Amino acid sequence: MDKHRGKSSKVERIKMRKKLLEKEGLLELSKEGDMPSENKLKNENLMKETIVKKKDKLSGKKRKEQNVTEAAVDKVDHPGSHAKDSSKRIKYEKSVEGKEEKKKKKLSKKKRNKQIVSGANVSEIDELDSEGEDGSKKLKDGSLATKKSARLQKADVAVNKRTKKSERVGKKKKDQIPLEEDNKLIKEENGSLASEVYHISSVDVDFSKGMKKWITEYHQSRPGLEILQQRIDEFITSHEEQEEQKRKEKEALAAEGGWTVVVHQKGRKKTTDAESGTTMGSVAQAAVIEKMKNVKKKDVGPDFYRFQKRDAQRNEIMMLQSKFEQDKKRIQQLRAARKFRPY
Amino acid sequence: MENNVNSKEETTDLKLRELLKQAQLDYDSATITTFVNNTVSSIKDFIDKIPENLKVNAKLAPGFIRDIGADKVEFTFKKPKSIEIGGSYSIQAIAKPDISVDVFIRLPKECFHEKDYLNHRYHGKRCLYLCIIKKYLSLSSGVKKIEWSTFQNEGRKPVLNVYPVQELGELPGFFIRLIPTAISSLFNVAKLKLTRSNLHGPNQEGDARPATPRYNTSILEDMFLEHNSEFVRNCFNGWRELGEALILVKVWARHRSSIYAHDCINGFLLSVIMSYLASKSGGNRINKSLKPMQIFRVTMDFIASSKLWDKGLLLQPQGQYNISKEVADQEKKSISKEERTQYRQLFPVVLIDSSFHFNLAFRFTRNGFLELRDEASLALNFIDKCKEGGFEEVYMTKVDFPAKYDYCLRLNLRENDKVYASGYCSDDECWRTYEEKVYSLLEQGLTDRTKLIRVTWRNSSSEWKIEEGFSKFGADALLAGILVSSCETSFRVVDIGPDAENKEEGLKFRKFWGEKAELRRFKDGTIAESTVWECRQWERHLIIKRISEYILLRHLSLPKENIVHVADQLDFSLLNGVGAFEVLSKRLRNLDDIPLKISSVQPLDSAFRFTSVYPPEPHPMAYEKDVGHKSQLLPTCIQPVEVMIQARHLTIGLFSLEGSGNWPVDDVVIEKTKSAFLLKIGESLQNTWGMTCNATGNDVDVLMSGYAFRLRILHERGLGMLKKQVGNSQTRRISSTDKELFIRSQHSSMINGLHGRYPIYGPVVRLAKRWIASHLFSSYLADEAIELLVAHLFLKPQPFYAPCSRITGFLRFLRFLSSYDWMFTPLVIDINNDFTSEDEKEITVSAITFNENFMLSRKSYEENVQNVESAMFLATSYDKASEAWTIFSPNLYELRRLAAYARSSAEYLTNLILKNQIESQKWECLFRTPLNNYDAVILLHRDLLPFPQRLLFPSEMTQGRHVAQGDASRDFHPYVLGNMKGRINEMKNKVMVNFDPARCFLNDLKGEFQNTFKLWYDSLGADAIGLTWDKPNSKKRVREEETEEHQDPIGILRDVGEIGKGFVRSVYLLKAPRLKT
Repeated sequence: MDKHRGKSSKVERIKMRKKLLEKEGLLELSKEGDMPSENKLKNENLMKETIVKKKDKLSGKKRKEQNVTEAAVDKVDHPGSHAKDSSKRIKYEKSVEGKEEKKKKKLSKKKRNKQIVSGANVSEIDELDSEGEDGSKKLKDGSLATKKSARLQKADVAVNKRTKKSERVGKKKKDQIPLEEDNKLIKEENGSLASEVYHISSVDVDFSKGMKKWITEYHQSRPGLEILQQRIDEFITSHEEQEEQKRKEKEALAAEGGWTVVVHQKGRKKTTDAESGTTMGSVAQAAVIEKMKNVKKKDVGPDFYRFQKRDAQRNEIMMLQSKFEQDKKRIQQLRAARKFRPY
Repeated sequence: MENNVNSKEETTDLKLRELLKQAQLDYDSATITTFVNNTVSSIKDFIDKIPENLKVNAKLAPGFIRDIGADKVEFTFKKPKSIEIGGSYSIQAIAKPDISVDVFIRLPKECFHEKDYLNHRYHGKRCLYLCIIKKYLSLSSGVKKIEWSTFQNEGRKPVLNVYPVQELGELPGFFIRLIPTAISSLFNVAKLKLTRSNLHGPNQEGDARPATPRYNTSILEDMFLEHNSEFVRNCFNGWRELGEALILVKVWARHRSSIYAHDCINGFLLSVIMSYLASKSGGNRINKSLKPMQIFRVTMDFIASSKLWDKGLLLQPQGQYNISKEVADQEKKSISKEERTQYRQLFPVVLIDSSFHFNLAFRFTRNGFLELRDEASLALNFIDKCKEGGFEEVYMTKVDFPAKYDYCLRLNLRENDKVYASGYCSDDECWRTYEEKVYSLLEQGLTDRTKLIRVTWRNSSSEWKIEEGFSKFGADALLAGILVSSCETSFRVVDIGPDAENKEEGLKFRKFWGEKAELRRFKDGTIAESTVWECRQWERHLIIKRISEYILLRHLSLPKENIVHVADQLDFSLLNGVGAFEVLSKRLRNLDDIPLKISSVQPLDSAFRFTSVYPPEPHPMAYEKDVGHKSQLLPTCIQPVEVMIQARHLTIGLFSLEGSGNWPVDDVVIEKTKSAFLLKIGESLQNTWGMTCNATGNDVDVLMSGYAFRLRILHERGLGMLKKQVGNSQTRRISSTDKELFIRSQHSSMINGLHGRYPIYGPVVRLAKRWIASHLFSSYLADEAIELLVAHLFLKPQPFYAPCSRITGFLRFLRFLSSYDWMFTPLVIDINNDFTSEDEKEITVSAITFNENFMLSRKSYEENVQNVESAMFLATSYDKASEAWTIFSPNLYELRRLAAYARSSAEYLTNLILKNQIESQKWECLFRTPLNNYDAVILLHRDLLPFPQRLLFPSEMTQGRHVAQGDASRDFHPYVLGNMKGRINEMKNKVMVNFDPARCFLNDLKGEFQNTFKLWYDSLGADAIGLTWDKPNSKKRVREEETEEHQDPIGILRDVGEIGKGFVRSVYLLKAPRLKT
């Protein structure tokens, strides 16, 4: 996966790749008679650089466009989904080569088209630039039309296919446009951030991130039993102190003002603390429960009054009705989802 | 209560209506009927144009004539006597999706001689006649293609499938089946009686010839086909309910591919049985007042439990039916007693046709019929017991070979000349004889280990060229399904044969088993012949495979690679070594010696209930003393197993708490106190037993007997408090540690009980977990939830029996996952049958509210997927409101993705079982996830995974943009060199308990990028992590912030790489997040 390349030897590389591709019979462009000569290619590459420098504003857009083509090519190159590692690997290497080559071709071709179109399009592009995504799409369409490259159309079809496929996975793709935009975006980044692979550095030096951090944390969290116990003791002590502090403050407040609001407490004295469930006072909870068992149930049932009965019945019926309604709704939905098809 | 029943019936009715609408053909639609009529009449016209008086001889199909062994087949072609629509179309009972119209072509009598019933001459001429028709029809412009097929899988009775050029959108795949018939007076029926022999070999004379009942019946069937078809039509005509019921029965039968077969039931026989039931001879069991559903029920009941099957059914034409009456009068009123006995002796099922000449059910085999009855009684059971009248179970669930049978066996017999060593067709055909042979071998070999064995060999003939004869006819594999009786009997190691004194039986036994048979003396003193299938504990599920392979190899002399027995193909994904657990559980009880009043010690970890994919292995560094380990590489990481200590009273005043005697109130303080106790316990264990204690502020792990135990304390009083809360409010969803522990312990003991009942449960769960993890769903479906889902398959296996093999169980898990209707039905898992109807009601109510919430959130779903939490409702006795495992995930989106994956895996697995794919690599694909379904993929350094041996497949990316790459850290190695004498303590320090860099990485990522992406990963240790971008949420976030975040996916991914520094190998971007437009 070496993508680091100097620009100087580009043309030579292209030559080599071309030969390679010719062997593999992959070079469809030459058959179409659309193949630019190497000189032209060189020129165009140079020109590309100059153009990039000059038309700053335009270049972004243009790159986007190139990237669309590249993305499309990408898709063509990888129609398969389940990659078999070992066997694919060789193929993959090849395809990388091929891809690069194709990209080159595309770029230069593109450039030529650009030259043809650009005169007419410059003003338009400027406008489009401000319009953003939609504009660029239009532009792409335009260039597509002028080019009428069979390859690109093929690629487009492939993109379409992919879209359908991803729809099947369950993500709702309304149409093809967002996907294209995605690709554009990927490649935009590709262009703007230079194409080399970012290398994660200082692997075993940086303590703030990654493996080093985790290992350090692991060891730090195990200081030994004594220290841990000490920490807990400290925590508890400080907690106690805080509690004590609060209590004291309360008392102090009471003492200071001389009086506190007395809150009326309803009912009998509680034997269980509401929050913790611990027993307070003298009666054990278990004993109470035991006692409660023997106490006769005094509360009247829900059907003591006639209206209660009626209500209960009505509720029941309502429930059933609602369930039935729900079922009907469900059937409709299932029908929509073809759940009744026995095949 | 009555209301309830009514509404239940109404819903079922509603559903059945819908089902019928889907399955019925719209006979009122003019387009369909005219289309069918036009197509048929155009074919008819074309056949009529075939010139007469053509001389026909064997040259048209030399192979066929040779292989059936017919002589004298020359005839002069005459036009068919009639061409008429018959079959299910004529009684308006076509059940989609099989849309074909049967057309009967009556062969003219002039083409046959009086004695043509001899030696397959009839069959030969029948075929040649079709050849002529095919030859001329294929010239027609209205015909797209013509295929050869067979009548009920009988090779010597071919039929033609004609596909018209013109197609109708409503009738996809429509074709016309041309079936030749003969008039009833073609041959003298007396010559075709059961006892007659009509195949005259060159060397046989007179009485020595064996009778040919099946051959005779095969001819009689053609002669009375139209007659019987007429009988059925008369019954069905103008009786809508009966027709609809037939469709229901067909839908039911078709889902059961093992009974909708040539040696069992088919559409025609079903219609015959139903007309029988509607006739006087059938006791008018079906009358006009019944609804389709009731007719279905009556039919099922009759098939399942009628005693008449033993006697044989007799179709009696009804009074108003004139023609048949005449025929009956001419011949005789009924068949005699002797004849009945004859039929019963010859055929397992007897269904005498309305002309009293032959047995309509002559193709039935005994095992086919047994299965049919079994399925019918099951269907009745579902209607009564299952919710919504068993709609799902009876009509909607596919009960095919791979899902139904515990073991599937495939014999590849392509071009195996042993099959037809004695000719293709004699009285019966060679394929049927072979089926019978395989069946009896398996039955004899497996004895009571099986509940049911089914052997079918379907001869699909789409590519069959009839001219070449039968040599390629058996190209498909022969399938055998084995239903296991019970795990104890089926997986027993020793089979005891006849006693040593019984010489005769002993000889037979030896002959059957060959060298496998041995004389053994048993504990009770008997000496008997026996076979022993020794194997290790975790290989016992393979005994059936070993036996069947041994027998088939021995008796059929097949090459071994032609037998494919589906049993162990997925075992590669599981590691074995469960044996150590018995010891482990016992040792646990020794933990009593701790300064606490402990009410019980309970295991929490899935390893204890045999459901963890990788049960922990003893680690040499985790023993109390130095166990002499050899110099080897030891894993660095130890997976701890969790153990819960249940404490009632914490009586020791440890800290400054002692004065109050109160258990602290604050959650944090409670946990701190608990860890203080745990530390004390750990310390004491360390001092008294020499067990290493490895503690952090939150967890305490002790190393013992090669395992690491993570100790947790459950405080019962806190629990009492929780119980109260569970009762009154469902709204409280804070999972306090005690509640969590309590639920986990409940779950653990429940599943443990289940495992005791179903020994296969464990392996199925393990496969399911492995699958979920392999497809990177680990973060969305809790392990416990998977255990419950699988538990459901065992507790409510309808329409199957509880699975008895891991692959079948796994397949059903996948199918269940792909098809369960989570949206409307809460899944209730009632392991110990302790739900009352009230509980059920409560669950339904809470599920309804759940659903309402769900529906509400569904509305917002249009805008944002993330809002929808918990799309799965799992109710158990300890968790009626489904709060334990699925409250936060999976959400709707995740669940759908899961279902889609399950669907494709299920299909894949079905194909693996049924089709000819032998390479083991194909099986692995089930656990290999395609990485291009994610927006970005992080690849990890394989050699830094804590358990590299658990990695099933190394992942590589072949697409997307390579964004970042990084080197491996040198500070961590998953293995340490074990040979360091005398420096045990140093070694022990190197061992890391519960250290998992992948988990650390994920936690860091989640902390850093909260709403940026979703993470898909494999908790069992794969070297790839998938990322999908979260859908931008316009409402919650400020726009600028969002665009800022989203415009730089590459930057984000580089940061991701940075966070996993030293662990991340490379990061790929496949799809950038979508911009808001």
